[in-house]
Amino acid sequence: MTIKIDSKDISQLLTQSSRQLDSGMMSALANARQKALDRQLVRVPAVTLSTGRWTLNLIPHSGLQWLATGLLVAILVFAAGYWQHAQEQQISEIDVAILTDELPIEIFVD
Amino acid sequence: MFKKLFLTGLLFLPFLAGKPVSAAPETWKSLTHGQQEALAPLAEQWDSLPEIQQHRLLKTAIRYPHLTIEEQQRFQERLIVWSKLTPEQRQAAREKYKAFEKVPEKQREQVKQMIKQEREQTIGSEKAIPGNDNR
Repeated sequence: MTIKIDSKDISQLLTQSSRQLDSGMMSALANARQKALDRQLVRVPAVTLSTGRWTLNLIPHSGLQWLATGLLVAILVFAAGYWQHAQEQQISEIDVAILTDELPIEIFVD
Repeated sequence: MFKKLFLTGLLFLPFLAGKPVSAAPETWKSLTHGQQEALAPLAEQWDSLPEIQQHRLLKTAIRYPHLTIEEQQRFQERLIVWSKLTPEQRQAAREKYKAFEKVPEKQREQVKQMIKQEREQTIGSEKAIPGNDNR
């Protein structure tokens, strides 16, 4: 004959058993529970704030970092400007070539 | 201090990047004599041209004084047709020109000769039409 035990019975059994534990064991279990809860509490915000922390790391903190960031941004902007200027220069050269080439303009225009 | 410098520097970055492509529109009257001479065929429609087109035409006008007389003539003859094209057509023409530039010199010369001959034939046949005869 098998005895069916549901979750309520398990909980009752555990409560009865815990009453039989000595105070040292009880406090050790209570400590372990508290530590587990603390870890869980820390982990939850860590997940939600992980993106924020990542972006926070991108913001320069020291003067030197601000200077390095400034230089990097200046180089990027200058490079973009130079690239744009070079592109425009090339377009202008081609335009003049099309407008002055021996071949009629209709050859290049649809 | 560096943070303040950085933020102030950000305000000046657009100037570091050089002159933007879409500069303020220039009226025909504001152009120099040299620019007006090079772009003379566009005098009437100049003020109504898009800014970017004006900017690019002005860049081409810089090279005008350095062209041969024959090239200057072609330049001005083609300006009206060129300015009437859509930006997409002009871009397609540039792509075609770049592709043609990649063709070996010998083949390019052959194409040029072929087109020259065709043009001469067309002119010849036009002259042969009785209506065009000046006798």
